[in-house]
Amino acid sequence: MTNQYDVVVIGSGVIGSSIAYHLSESKQKEILVIDKGFPLSGTSGSTQAWVWVHNKTPSWYGELSMYSAELYPFLERKIGDVEYKRTGGIAPFFNESDREKALRLAEKQAEVGIDIEVLNREQVLEKEPALSPTIAGATYSKIDGNVNPFRLVELYIKAAKRNGAEFSFYNPVIDIDKDNGNFTITTKEGVFYAKQLILAGGPWTKGLGELLGIDIPVKQVRGQIIVTEPLAPLIKHTIGGMRQADNGEILIGYSKEEVGYDRRTTLDVIQDTAKMAVDYLPDLARANIVRCFSGIRVMPHDGFPILGEIPEIDNAFIAVMHSGITLSPLVGTLMTELLTEGETSIDLKRLRFNRFNECNV
Amino acid sequence: METDLLIIGGGPAGLNAAYEAASHGIETLVIEESFSMGGQLRQQTQVLDKLPKQFEKQRGTTLARTLIEKLSTLNVKVLLKHTMIGTYQDGRIGVSNGVKTIPITAKRIIVTTGAAEEASVFPGWTLPGVMTIGAAQILMNREYVQPGKNALVLGSNTFSLEIVKQFKEMGVTVRGIIESNSELISKHEKIIKSIKKDGIPLYLNSYIENATGVGEVQKVTLNHNGITEEMNIDLVCIGKGVAPILEPFEIMNCSFTYQIRLGGWVPQYSISMETSSPSAYIAGNAAGITSMGGILLTGQLAAVSVAESLGFLNEKLATEKRASLWKELHCIETTADLREVFNARMALIKDYHEEANLLPSSLFDLSLEEC
Repeated sequence: MTNQYDVVVIGSGVIGSSIAYHLSESKQKEILVIDKGFPLSGTSGSTQAWVWVHNKTPSWYGELSMYSAELYPFLERKIGDVEYKRTGGIAPFFNESDREKALRLAEKQAEVGIDIEVLNREQVLEKEPALSPTIAGATYSKIDGNVNPFRLVELYIKAAKRNGAEFSFYNPVIDIDKDNGNFTITTKEGVFYAKQLILAGGPWTKGLGELLGIDIPVKQVRGQIIVTEPLAPLIKHTIGGMRQADNGEILIGYSKEEVGYDRRTTLDVIQDTAKMAVDYLPDLARANIVRCFSGIRVMPHDGFPILGEIPEIDNAFIAVMHSGITLSPLVGTLMTELLTEGETSIDLKRLRFNRFNECNV
Repeated sequence: METDLLIIGGGPAGLNAAYEAASHGIETLVIEESFSMGGQLRQQTQVLDKLPKQFEKQRGTTLARTLIEKLSTLNVKVLLKHTMIGTYQDGRIGVSNGVKTIPITAKRIIVTTGAAEEASVFPGWTLPGVMTIGAAQILMNREYVQPGKNALVLGSNTFSLEIVKQFKEMGVTVRGIIESNSELISKHEKIIKSIKKDGIPLYLNSYIENATGVGEVQKVTLNHNGITEEMNIDLVCIGKGVAPILEPFEIMNCSFTYQIRLGGWVPQYSISMETSSPSAYIAGNAAGITSMGGILLTGQLAAVSVAESLGFLNEKLATEKRASLWKELHCIETTADLREVFNARMALIKDYHEEANLLPSSLFDLSLEEC
């Protein structure tokens, strides 16, 4: 391992490893990815891993998610089977009064090419008979699905390594300095130099920003998830709040809490989550729960990805967002364009870091 | 439900802690996930020596009854078939009986979840007939069932070798003891000598390549120094040792440390057996794999500390009592060939006192004192 790299990516979650992989495809850059722990020990390994598009609003955000979902089949051909399944997504609503909102959503998303159907009760139950008959209807889209996050991140990393990218795990970054156009990255395992630096530390990116003297406007959000015992096929679609994995386990999670980096689960939330699950799928009342876990997710203050250059620090970039699983193929592609060509095929203006400063002015 | 003290686990550590605590007048609730109390003692038919001085030498099964009977006149409530499944945000413990989840408010908690056997994975390891060595012991001593006829034992710690001896008495033919290391794990000379005398084959530098069979294990392929051998086997016992059960400590956000001599990852605790989670104490094998003497004494230690912190025992008496219990623990662990365990325990406690800015204890010099 040399110490000098063209690009150092900090964070080897789904975003960091996707960027490393896409960037490595051209084999033009010496790339190093540094992670404080091991891939999948943080956010990317504690998610339901939806590739979710249809009710992401405003519509430009839905559009980005759609482009990314469209990339998944091509990605699989390149890096291998990540168990991406386009199951179709159902987001039920329980009150007839929500139908108006659903129709407005469908209309808005249609403008950017996202096809949404607003279903009545019978139509939903025809698609997903196990859902509760108390629902009033649902929005439905074919584009939604899910993926196996463990295979996804592992295959990103394997493919990147095949292309020559290097990885350093269990290696926290202690300090970052910028001088003479080079970044000096001091880690537990030694010092590395980079021409370009990408912060992709998910919820931990805030701390990385502090090393560079910048405040990164992100929050940590805990999501608690229940895993059932393996059940006979019960649901086919990805449903707002839950999905059934290949081995029959149903993953359920609706919660969002701001409790910092605390990764515990609490019975208050778990019991609420279970109640909500039974409201959706009454059959689940008879299922045993085998496990609960929680993940710390990152949430930018305005909810949208922060992607692109870091203002006032040349050659420093950031890629931090909620929905990293959905967006990773697209983010990897766009960041590669940005780093190698200086411009992107999709305008990133809305996602720029300095939008937060503009708000303050 | 409310109680002064909640003990999670009704094995020897939990029962002894319950006795000590309730003797001081503390209202105590024990939850136990099994259908009866006693923990691993329930299948330990061997005679246990090196017990704390208030216990006579006795069989494990008898000791279980002794411990349970001692509680009969005290203010101890027991919930069998109840499992701790989580905590609420306000610190209450959620205990489930499989139908309902009961929130329990406890002023103090002692967690005595013990240890679980480690598995060893090879193709075919899920076939019926492949089990842990502890499971074979339960079948023989508790259920009176012969677990198989032709057995292989994977792992050579003292416990595995003791069961191999018992296999012989039960008419199970042991076709080999398989050890991946180049020497036996157990250093118990008496047992090793007797195993060798019985002519049981020892395969060092060996491992199981796979187990096969229709519906149950029938054949095992052994790799011995690179040479493979197929054997007709209907019982494979995995004896890879035990490790502390940690989930309740994880749920309660306790800090952990790694001490290989104590069984790997263990919660950090103080000289009072208090963990880093407020009001939560630890005892028994969960606090480090040890002998029955160590299990019982740590239970008593935790209970003395709980009694002190709840005002049932004054500081002076509690400190004296702890000192004498630690001395006894030192002597028991030292004479039971567990000197390294005791030293690892003291190192863990010392580190934790320094890290957490707790008072240093004169007890740290114990390991230097001879018994």
